[in-house]
Amino acid sequence: MQHTNIQTITCTHKKLLKYTFISFVFAVLALITVILPAEYNIDPTGVGNKLGLTVFNNAKASAINATSSNRAKNATETIEVVVPAGKGVEYKFTMEQYQKLTYQWTTNGTALYFDLHGEPEGDTTGYFESYAIATSNEMKGSFTTPFAGSHGWYWKNTSAFPVKVQLVINGEYIEHALK
Amino acid sequence: MYSFSHRYGALSFIALIIMLLPLDTFAHGVDENTRAFLQQNTGIQIIPFLYIGAKHMVTGYDHLLFLIGVLFFLYKSRDVFLYVSLFTLGHSLTLLLGVIGDIQVNAYLIDAIIGLSVVYKGFDNLGGFKQTLGFTPNPKAAVLIFGLFHGFGLATKLQEFQLPSDGLIANLIAFNLGVELGQFSSLAFILLLINFWRKHSSFNRFAISTNCLLMSAGFMLVGFQLTAYFIR
Repeated sequence: MQHTNIQTITCTHKKLLKYTFISFVFAVLALITVILPAEYNIDPTGVGNKLGLTVFNNAKASAINATSSNRAKNATETIEVVVPAGKGVEYKFTMEQYQKLTYQWTTNGTALYFDLHGEPEGDTTGYFESYAIATSNEMKGSFTTPFAGSHGWYWKNTSAFPVKVQLVINGEYIEHALK
Repeated sequence: MYSFSHRYGALSFIALIIMLLPLDTFAHGVDENTRAFLQQNTGIQIIPFLYIGAKHMVTGYDHLLFLIGVLFFLYKSRDVFLYVSLFTLGHSLTLLLGVIGDIQVNAYLIDAIIGLSVVYKGFDNLGGFKQTLGFTPNPKAAVLIFGLFHGFGLATKLQEFQLPSDGLIANLIAFNLGVELGQFSSLAFILLLINFWRKHSSFNRFAISTNCLLMSAGFMLVGFQLTAYFIR
């Protein structure tokens, strides 16, 4: 078989050593000042930090913190809402799409007309989708949001006395408030 | 001849841009999507696996640096074809064997060896082995052997996802073909640049610094992967 003779660079032993050494040193310098600080937050010289390259790891850490604070919100919460006599109030949860909320609410005995519904985020037409409409003094269940937006209850008190609703919830949501 | 290579180069350049475009625009999203796809896919999915294979090769700078090193001093198309075929043979063998045989190798160590293959080729191009050992190890064997390691590297990328056995062989072959497609378009681009550059006197003047940079990049890859191996 014919041997293909491939051209290479011919240089002296000393030069070869020099080239290899320079290549190696350059690689090590790039690794410890740029690559390792940025990739692994390993910054022995502090140069990576000065160059602002450790931000990627800081961003990762704050992202983890953000998710853990979201998780803390998953604890069971008890909310009390007072519906004045002859009035209606809305209590809504701002939620992302496909977030799930488990709920249970009771009144002090008086039945209220209610509408559990959701309004899409950013909607200005007044559109809403009802998940449950009834008149009751208690209800237990859960729902998964079909779209991002504000989801919750409208309670109407037709009696002559204020009614207190105790709402116990557990699930994922961004925030909740009386509307 | 000129117009042929010109057109060929332009076409491969366009192909390369098309492959890179979605990556550049949605770098994060595509990766996440690919991951989700690989974990949820069932059955035979030829085109997606073709694409993932091609994408891995086109964006895999470790494979590309090695190819640049191999092609640096090859100007006869017969040699180019021979060496690229040996590399393809090597990496296809271990890619298929690795995934089908479920051979578990540490991805970081394999990637470190791939980095070492770049150092090797840069050193070889500098005439380093002739100088230190008195002879050059058979370059064809070297390309084949390092091709085997590159294939294991490709295999570990797929194994990460624990692909379902349903349609695995067909998907694997599609991935492998995709790798070759990606390699082909990258090669076209690399060859075009190197052959164009070779005609200029600067090629010889910068041959040393280019191969030093190649070696240096190889060292960086080794350091980068070994660090990951020790801390992860």
